[in-house]
Amino acid sequence: MSRPRRLRAAEPRQGVAAIEVEGSRWRESCRRELGDGARFCGAYASGDRLARRWSALFADGPSTRVLTTRVDRDQLPTIVDLVAAAQWDEREAHDLHGLRFEGHEPLRALVDHTVDTAAWTTPVEGRGVHQVAVGPVHAGVIESGHFRFHVVGERILHLDTRLFYKHRGLERAAEGRELPDGLRFAQRACGACAVTNAVAYAQACESVLGLLPTRELRRARTLLLELERLYNHLNDIGAACAGIGFASGNMAFAALKERAMRLNKELAGHRFLFGSAEVGASRLVLASQLAGRTRGQLRELRQDAAQVWREVRFSGSVQARLGGVGVLDRDSAARLGAVGPAARASGLEQDTRSDSPGLWYGSSFAAAGPEARTGDVSARLQVRASELESTFEVLDDLLSAPIAADIASPSGPKAPIGVARVESPRGETVCVLEHDLFRLRRLHLRTGSYANWPALAEASARNLLPDFPLINKSFELCYACVDR
Amino acid sequence: MFVLLRHLQRVRREAALPPRRGARSLAIRHVDAGSCNACEHELTATAAPQYDLQRFGLDIVASPRHADVLLVTGPVTTRMEGALLAAYEAMPEPRRVAALGDCALGCGVLGAAAELAGPLDRLLPVDIRIPGCPPTPQEIADAILDAIPASQSPGSP
Ligand code: SF4
Repeated sequence: MSRPRRLRAAEPRQGVAAIEVEGSRWRESCRRELGDGARFCGAYASGDRLARRWSALFADGPSTRVLTTRVDRDQLPTIVDLVAAAQWDEREAHDLHGLRFEGHEPLRALVDHTVDTAAWTTPVEGRGVHQVAVGPVHAGVIESGHFRFHVVGERILHLDTRLFYKHRGLERAAEGRELPDGLRFAQRACGACAVTNAVAYAQACESVLGLLPTRELRRARTLLLELERLYNHLNDIGAACAGIGFASGNMAFAALKERAMRLNKELAGHRFLFGSAEVGASRLVLASQLAGRTRGQLRELRQDAAQVWREVRFSGSVQARLGGVGVLDRDSAARLGAVGPAARASGLEQDTRSDSPGLWYGSSFAAAGPEARTGDVSARLQVRASELESTFEVLDDLLSAPIAADIASPSGPKAPIGVARVESPRGETVCVLEHDLFRLRRLHLRTGSYANWPALAEASARNLLPDFPLINKSFELCYACVDR
Repeated sequence: MFVLLRHLQRVRREAALPPRRGARSLAIRHVDAGSCNACEHELTATAAPQYDLQRFGLDIVASPRHADVLLVTGPVTTRMEGALLAAYEAMPEPRRVAALGDCALGCGVLGAAAELAGPLDRLLPVDIRIPGCPPTPQEIADAILDAIPASQSPGSP
């Protein structure tokens, strides 16, 4: 799979443009971005009470435009009517930074847990409608979060999720630190996306420091990212098997995942690859012998995974449990800004790996899709299975030559604000950082899971309550990196 | 299905797990009090064929009322403090508390002080400490198995 590199971006990194916008032109400017085909990919508040600022990010191929406006008296117009995907961002900014968004009515609490239930749930009324509350502590080994289902009988009419039980204030804890030191906070936001978060942070940091990743750096990071995707996808397919009580499928995938974890440990010294990505450098060394041996191990793993997947794919009773459950249609996926395997299962083609000049994906890299873009549990599983194939391809290609330690080259221009977008196993993760004399002034992390929670709630409506755990597992979103 | 079972049999053979010791059991209730989720991954992995902790009579149970051990991950956020204490209150005596991972033990990258109520031993008596970030499934298995004799009482099933 040695393909020519993509030549779209002149530099081996994503482009960033920071644009100041007058408060009165905020909506118009955002509307223009969206009209030009750019995709909303996050918004965040910065500054303090005296000089509050609000920024929205729009992705356009491998570049990102950051629109920023000054906020007067903590109030500014909403954009949720223009782009529904901004809903959680505005709700979070209200709860954590006190911003009010005119026209965002009602502005329901998201992070604030001190309010009454009525302040964060959607009123659903009618004959026989009642609420079922679940969590924050769940029955299995599951992260903490609270769900409020509005149901009639067993049918879910609407789901309100309340996360942020795990809010540790990691972004705030990172502020004031020297830029390279902030990476550990981004990484610890989430164990299962640790590499993605660390690479996104490193790339954002390098763009403000004027560092360009070398060939070796790009190869090493791509290898780490795909190793992360590998164990996650194996885990997530297994989890969906558990969701339908298919124990042998669950156990077979658990065993495959364990093999991938042991490989991680052997290659990078940590089962979750913690500490393997850093700012401006890469310490990963794979001499040709180790690379060759790993390649062999991965080929065996690939064969076994394909064999086990075939058993899941062609078992009639398994498929009967997966089809038509938890449907997220294409329009809803696009409207809610879904990303990653969930978006691709619904027919959207977005995959940030195609827009990552700072990494090492071939120019013909294409997002994998399911056989049918039905947007149900079955399609989300299929996307992961076909992505496993491309992950094995990329890994095999990268391991065809040794990987050496290297440092970034200090020849790039310094961006005013650091932004990086990296495709995690759950979708695009966006990392933004602003600094004062190379100390973090603001760190913002919007992970693939954050983008997808509203889509999960939408996909759950109209389904049976007992199917929710399965639908939940088919998205397999993290709570940790949403809550931060 | 046949292929799948044969595959699992092979995995099992290759894992060559040591025989189980004694016939005892321990019911564990897990509470995530603000982890990064890697500790949960490793806890779940103890059920994978390569470890198969269940064969020692160890089970993750659905309710704290059924549990002998409360296994806690994360630095204990202020927002999880209430639910954590409620879970502990619901447990029958004798009960044990285990801190899983460095976060629960109060070290490592934790977060902003204002958001944290932990570490765990500030809130509950910690009997079992499992350090690591995250501890490996084997380390988790060993720590819990070591705790079995101590947590058995004549009255427990
Ligand atoms: S101890 Fe480490 S692995 Fe466990 S929750 Fe904390 S940061 Fe994550």
